Amino acid sequence: MKVTDRVDSRGNAGLWAGVAVFFMIAAMPLWAHAGNAKQGEKIAKTRSLGNCVACHYLPKVESPGDIGPNLVEAMQEYTMAERKDVVQWIRDAREFNPHTIMPPFGTNKILTPQQIDDVVAYLYTLKKK
Amino acid sequence: MYKKISILLKTLVLPAAVMLVTGTLGVGTWAQAATQSGNKIEKLTPSMSYAEYQKRYEKYYGDFTAQMAEEGNPAEFLLDDGKDLANKVVGSKGKSCASCHGKDALQLKGAATTFPKYNAELKGIMTFPLQINTCREKQMGAKPLKYESYDQLALTMYIKSLSNGMPIKVSIDGPARPFYEKGQVAYYKRQGQLNFSCAICHVQYAGYKARSNLISNNKHHADHWPCYRLKWGKTGSLQRRFRGCLKNMRAKKPPFQSEELRNMELYLTYLNNGDLIQVPGMRM
Ligand code: HEC
Ligand code: HEC
Repeated sequence: MKVTDRVDSRGNAGLWAGVAVFFMIAAMPLWAHAGNAKQGEKIAKTRSLGNCVACHYLPKVESPGDIGPNLVEAMQEYTMAERKDVVQWIRDAREFNPHTIMPPFGTNKILTPQQIDDVVAYLYTLKKK
Repeated sequence: MYKKISILLKTLVLPAAVMLVTGTLGVGTWAQAATQSGNKIEKLTPSMSYAEYQKRYEKYYGDFTAQMAEEGNPAEFLLDDGKDLANKVVGSKGKSCASCHGKDALQLKGAATTFPKYNAELKGIMTFPLQINTCREKQMGAKPLKYESYDQLALTMYIKSLSNGMPIKVSIDGPARPFYEKGQVAYYKRQGQLNFSCAICHVQYAGYKARSNLISNNKHHADHWPCYRLKWGKTGSLQRRFRGCLKNMRAKKPPFQSEELRNMELYLTYLNNGDLIQVPGMRM
């Protein structure tokens, strides 16, 4: 069987997949900046990482804390244009409230900028539009 | 945006208004309070009334407390051993606690109510476990007991239990005052990678849940130690609990009976003046 036959028999799926992967890799820096929501969810719910659920309600978590606002409700108030505010809340909430209990995840290097971006990407998936 | 404003209102305007009304604060920014000697501490106020806090506490621990009373406190096994230790002769001087404090050290009934207290020789704060070790070394010529060891906990617990039901009455007058203030500053100091302080949790957010733990108000924090803790599966001291919270804060843990922990113990115990001693305690 010739190579071209094989491509034909799959209706060019393999070729298109290859093209897609190529563009994904090419667009990597941009895509990474937008944050990986799946990673973000893991970070937000893992005790040794973000542990946001110690204080905030997030869906599908057993007994989340109630010290901070419910993040599903909170996220309904943020537009895409306000993304940098959400980032800042996590980077260092003292900018908004100098006496906050929320840990300064960025300033104190609890999370990397990439991890914070991932968490924010996850938070935006909670928006019901 | 709206959310942010409402938070600002809650966190800035409300406490400021409360402060204006009560007039408890002199100069300084709205969020700082000064101790007598002028040390600044963060001004934090409880997010709910004590009555509301108690309601939540009872709802959260209700069953557990009843169950506990039924099953008994494993720490009570240490009491008999503590009594034996109080009568046991050790050290180069051929003495026991009982040699100075009567059979079963019964003359020490009430002693625990005034600890921690200022000690001139120490030029600092004497806690109960430290007092026991000081007696052993100076009066008995015996080796100090390792902190958190079985014998140290048993002896502390037994002698403190002689004051059960008596109100705490710790003094912060005279030379004790600066140590009390240092303890207060430590209690309010933001520390560790998470930037918490003891007070932000046990004053401001008492009654809320950190994950599934209901954060307790510091009102009854000092009256039940040594205490059996289910999570430890063991009996421990108040300072062990301090170090546990410090670890959770990802902060430095000063050693047992270090100056910082003794000052904090004085501050916290003074806050609990009037509470009845109840040793050993039991917690989750
Ligand atoms: C120890 C408690 C605590 C932890 C841990 C915590 N937060 Fe918060 N957070 C708060 C509190 C309390 C507020 C409300 C504002 C304030 O008091 O500073 C808040 C506010 C926020 C806000 C703004 C909400 C609004 O209404 O606009 C966001 C977004 C947020 N947190 C996200 C997170 C994320 C994501 C994490 C984990 C990476 C996290 N928080 C971890 C306590 C916490
Ligand atoms: C992020 C929140 C938080 C911070 C910060 C914190 N604690 Fe705690 N603490 C808890 C929780 C949760 C418990 C377990 C439940 C409870 O409150 O009894 C606890 C328990 C305790 C207890 C035992 C209470 C009892 O009845 O047996 C003491 C004492 C205590 N903490 C003191 C401190 C001190 C001192 C500091 C500062 C060095 C501190 N805590 C910092 C959350 C915190």
